[in-house]
Amino acid sequence: MTKYIVRRLLWMIPVILVVTLITFTLMHMAPGGPWDRDPGARQVDARTQQLLNTRFGLDKPLFFNFSDGNPLDSQFFGYLWGLVHLDLGPSYRIRGADVQDLLFKAPEDKPWWESKFGYSLRLGLYALVFSIIIGIPLGIVAALKQNTVVDYLSLFVATFGVSVPSFVIALFFIIIFAVGLHMVDIVIRDWSSFKPWIIPAAILGFPTMAFLTRLTRSSMLDIMTQDYIRTARSKGLHERRVVMLHMLKNSLIPVITILGPALAGLVTGSFIIEQIFGFPGIGREFVLSIQRRDYSMIMGTTLLYAVLVAFANLAVDILYGFVDPRIKVE
Amino acid sequence: MNRFSRLPVMLGVVAALFVGAIALGACGATPTPEVRTVEKVVTQIVEKEKVVEKAVQQTVVVQQTVVVEKEKVVDKVITATPTSEKVLRINLATYPDTIDPQKSSFVNEIAHLKLIYEGLTRLDKDLNTVPAAAEKWAFSQDGKTLTFTLRKGLKYSDGTVLDARRFAFAIKRNINPATAGEYAQITDEVMGAPEWRGADAKTPKEAMAKLEATVTDSVAAMDASGKVCSKDTKAEDCLTLKLTLSKPAPYFATIMGLWVTYPAREELITQGKETWWNSSKFQIGNGPFVLKNLEPYVRARFVPNTNYWRGLAKLNAIEFSYITDSAIGFQAYKNNEFDIVPLVAEDLKTVQADANMKDQANVYAGSCTFAVMFHQQKEPFTDPKVRQAFSMALDREGWVRDVLQGLGAPTLTWIPPGFPGYKKGETRWGFDAAAAKKALSESKYGSVDKLPPVKLTFSDSPRNRTRYTWLAGKWKDVLGVTVTLDPVEPTTYTALTKNVATAPQAYILGWCADYPDPQNWLSVYWHTGGFGSRIAYSNADLDKAMDAADVELDTAKRADLYAKAQDMLVAEAPVAFMWNNVNSYLVKPWVTGIVKTSNDSDFPGSGDPLTIDIDLSKMKK
Amino acid sequence: MAVTTQTQAKVPSGMALLEDQFIKRPPRSLWSDAWRRLRNNTAAMAGLVVIIIFLLLAIFAPLLSPHNPVEFFPNNTYRPPFWVQNGVNPAAGGIASFPLGTDSLGADVFSRTIYGARVSMVVGFIPMLIILIVGLVIGVAAGYGSSRLDNLLMRFTDIVYAFPDLLFFIIVMVALRDSWIGQLLNGLVLLFVALAIVTWVGLARLVRGQVLSLKEKEFVEAARMVGAGNMRIMFRHLLPNSLGPIIVFTAFRIPNLIISEAILGYLGLGLRPSINAHDIFITSWGALLLEGQTAINAQPWILLAPAICVSLIVLAFNFLGDGLRDALDPRSK
Repeated sequence: MTKYIVRRLLWMIPVILVVTLITFTLMHMAPGGPWDRDPGARQVDARTQQLLNTRFGLDKPLFFNFSDGNPLDSQFFGYLWGLVHLDLGPSYRIRGADVQDLLFKAPEDKPWWESKFGYSLRLGLYALVFSIIIGIPLGIVAALKQNTVVDYLSLFVATFGVSVPSFVIALFFIIIFAVGLHMVDIVIRDWSSFKPWIIPAAILGFPTMAFLTRLTRSSMLDIMTQDYIRTARSKGLHERRVVMLHMLKNSLIPVITILGPALAGLVTGSFIIEQIFGFPGIGREFVLSIQRRDYSMIMGTTLLYAVLVAFANLAVDILYGFVDPRIKVE
Repeated sequence: MNRFSRLPVMLGVVAALFVGAIALGACGATPTPEVRTVEKVVTQIVEKEKVVEKAVQQTVVVQQTVVVEKEKVVDKVITATPTSEKVLRINLATYPDTIDPQKSSFVNEIAHLKLIYEGLTRLDKDLNTVPAAAEKWAFSQDGKTLTFTLRKGLKYSDGTVLDARRFAFAIKRNINPATAGEYAQITDEVMGAPEWRGADAKTPKEAMAKLEATVTDSVAAMDASGKVCSKDTKAEDCLTLKLTLSKPAPYFATIMGLWVTYPAREELITQGKETWWNSSKFQIGNGPFVLKNLEPYVRARFVPNTNYWRGLAKLNAIEFSYITDSAIGFQAYKNNEFDIVPLVAEDLKTVQADANMKDQANVYAGSCTFAVMFHQQKEPFTDPKVRQAFSMALDREGWVRDVLQGLGAPTLTWIPPGFPGYKKGETRWGFDAAAAKKALSESKYGSVDKLPPVKLTFSDSPRNRTRYTWLAGKWKDVLGVTVTLDPVEPTTYTALTKNVATAPQAYILGWCADYPDPQNWLSVYWHTGGFGSRIAYSNADLDKAMDAADVELDTAKRADLYAKAQDMLVAEAPVAFMWNNVNSYLVKPWVTGIVKTSNDSDFPGSGDPLTIDIDLSKMKK
Repeated sequence: MAVTTQTQAKVPSGMALLEDQFIKRPPRSLWSDAWRRLRNNTAAMAGLVVIIIFLLLAIFAPLLSPHNPVEFFPNNTYRPPFWVQNGVNPAAGGIASFPLGTDSLGADVFSRTIYGARVSMVVGFIPMLIILIVGLVIGVAAGYGSSRLDNLLMRFTDIVYAFPDLLFFIIVMVALRDSWIGQLLNGLVLLFVALAIVTWVGLARLVRGQVLSLKEKEFVEAARMVGAGNMRIMFRHLLPNSLGPIIVFTAFRIPNLIISEAILGYLGLGLRPSINAHDIFITSWGALLLEGQTAINAQPWILLAPAICVSLIVLAFNFLGDGLRDALDPRSK
């Protein structure tokens, strides 16, 4: 097992390298640059733009420098060199700030969980917990009570969760809980208590919860008709034991499969949630960096996501072995 | 198992739930008034007021119920969580990318700076340039030297004395190529500024030092005797700032009130490094408010500056939030969680129809002009007749009514109303279907079918889609021209429009005033080499006229010269002037003392936040 | 009528019928058996009918919609549906000629919904087909193949997972906008190819997980014992048995794709708009959902039609999918 994990960890290096190369190529193919802001506003003038390009090395060749003596004195290898030293480069949108500080450092010497990534990580974990503790039980009950009210209810919730975009669900939640029932505020000026996190986490986790519900239900239905369940029942095992031990465990494979990437997706934030609640996470960096051609930030967010996905999928593959010992991840 | 029976039931349930949820949304949008008997309401008012008074004495936050009387004894219950403090809560919608005075350029960035700092001059309610940190200023006879005299006893919020060296540093920092700010250009009249600003990093050290020295000489902090302040000069004595300009620039006193001259402090910038502006520790200014704390993307809180020379603000605090989604911001306003929010076109009708909110809408003239730009060197817009035809085919009234939902004002000229240089009653190239058709037939193309293909390019967004669809529809209806709509990803669009070679044939662009002077509207934009060169606009006669106006020191003569220049600009219809924006906000009835100006693109009354107050008694009502 | 008579004329004699049914009949395959069972499943058939109705709606949109969806009626903006008289916007009540109300420019929401079916059906289904093919092939290959193949394919999916979708869309849209493929169907082809390229990975991993677990099960062992080939095991045994998650994935991915189209439009990467009602792809449900969101305070009812349409598609797929799985599961006879 240890050997397997080490090998998988080593495999992450080429994966990250390829992701870096692809993203780097793509982002420089996109027209425009970091100094092209809203066309309605005054633009950095041509001369200043040249100066800025020189300062940030954006006037260097992309991959290989044939004009100077050192062919590796290029933007790409410069970035890789920084990456090896855990330096993600300067942000172009928020000038003067470094990408790793913007993502992982909290303002005014606060602890790291007050950083943008810290906020997103916490919200993502809450959302994941929400989707698991509601989604999986609802899926189990829906399968056990197939074609009853509970089953229909789960289908309705799931359908609502996927057919209505999250920005609309957010509005419904706000209108119900803030405007109607006055349970929470819409504008959250202080995130230090737990209460304001509930609604954003629920909205963020809603689609995952819907997906989990249906997936659990479908898996359970597959398992329910299997011979060994019948055997277990006929052996006189307690019904709860049958459900929990045999059925649930065996139906967990697809659930675990999606939970891995779902975790990576949830903890890297949501542009929409952040726009709606004024949430200080990293979701907006994923979108704004690309819109504004904030090159280092594009690389930073993409690599962060890549690393999270790689780790999450590794965890999934290891968990397979625990759920179904016959699966040999090698 | 009969599976069919469950299906219609299911669909019915889903449909019902959707309708229910949406109806709930609708209800939330107009909260259903609660019907109560009169007696009950009265007792409730009495009880609640007692509670609130107590709360005020103890300065504790309380849940408060405000009862607003409406017709037919139907009462609307609003709950708010106001404090006994007078806090003005504003939704600024977007968090700034930077709050560095010499690097900022966007309205939301400047909104913060305007509270923290103050320039040498400022604008009054009629947009006149009046003394601020400087008590007076004077131009030399030739108009090439501008001398400011600072007020005595000016202090930063932390008590540090503010002298002329602070302003000299700020102006130099704006020019410094190491700063490379968006608005570095705006101080180009300072002798030596363009050269230093444009200096390459590879410039030899001595040459660089020489360039810097020229600017240092042009931006001189001096004592009363005219001696340049040294390190040892006492701050109290160093109160004169002498600017040497490369040409007469009567508008330069106005420029010296802009955010780029805000005296950010050298030692704090050094200490806080590149991101010094991110921290309330280093953002110490001379403006009416002090930045108390700044939580990125969550809120910024400002409290009055006790050292501000014009006196203490009436408010206890101003708080900015950054809810980008306007529908949510509107809900929060109705839920009494904001005192001021921007009013968007989608919500305008709802507000106007609501008896309570109708009076809270503040819609007034803004500071921008928008026009359909025609590329002067791309067919068919090389022909003035074609430009005139395309301009006359557009019904500006209809545009404002149907597309902007009333949030805008049609215009046929460049400088907007309320700004010096505005020309009332311009009628040239306005909507006239018959004349438009005639102009097209008189063009060198002769008829519609001989016209080369026209592509209307725009930055893609749902809102722009409707806008440009409307434009294309009008050109088709009136002229019979089929225009191809060409949506482009926003940053790609910016990159395209920046370069005259790649600039589209036709697109909409606006210009918003940096400072209220015709020079900013005409010379900065339409002079050869200015912003108008992106559509290849160049008119030697107009250049000459504007050059003459720019250096004219006599105010009346100058205004006359600019009026003539604007006349020349409109004559050939280089672009189709379309509309002026409006400032539109919702303001709660308890917010008082707002002095509106067309410059309020951040929040109403931002020109003079000192006069804004909150009437707590109204808040209780 | 003519058709009926012809069919009747072809009714075979008793002997021929017998021969037809029993002698000539090929051995019942998994699939024909499944189809027979699926046909008997009313809910699944109802789901199918719903999808067919939407397809018809999309095809015959010009005949069914009362107005041109891109025609703006001045002074008719933000009208609520006909049954609402005292809506949020008292300036305008619902009228019968705009059964579902109007949008911000005064276009008919009902007509927009009908026309929107075109884009949304295409965006929902065509990329889904590509996703299914790529995802299934890679998933089964990774799960069933050697561990080396599995490792390579899964590291590849890790890369595609981390792929910056938005950046990719921008490149594709900007670089290919003026090429022939970008022009095709108002840019729709480009859009769904791009969508498919980045979304197959979830399915691939889901299928691989199932296959990894199933290939160690007794029935696969049994099949191998009787000499079934790898292809046969993969497509006859493993795939049908992992249908459950695949169906759930499909039913959930379709609305996701429909909404993605809208979000891309919001970010400035959508279809080309058109003022020409004769163009095939003018508007989409996604665009309506977005418009409904911005107008939630003025005309919340805009959301109603597209939300119900998307939900109906999801439900139809759930029922059809459930039916399909039951039909392919020999145990649930």
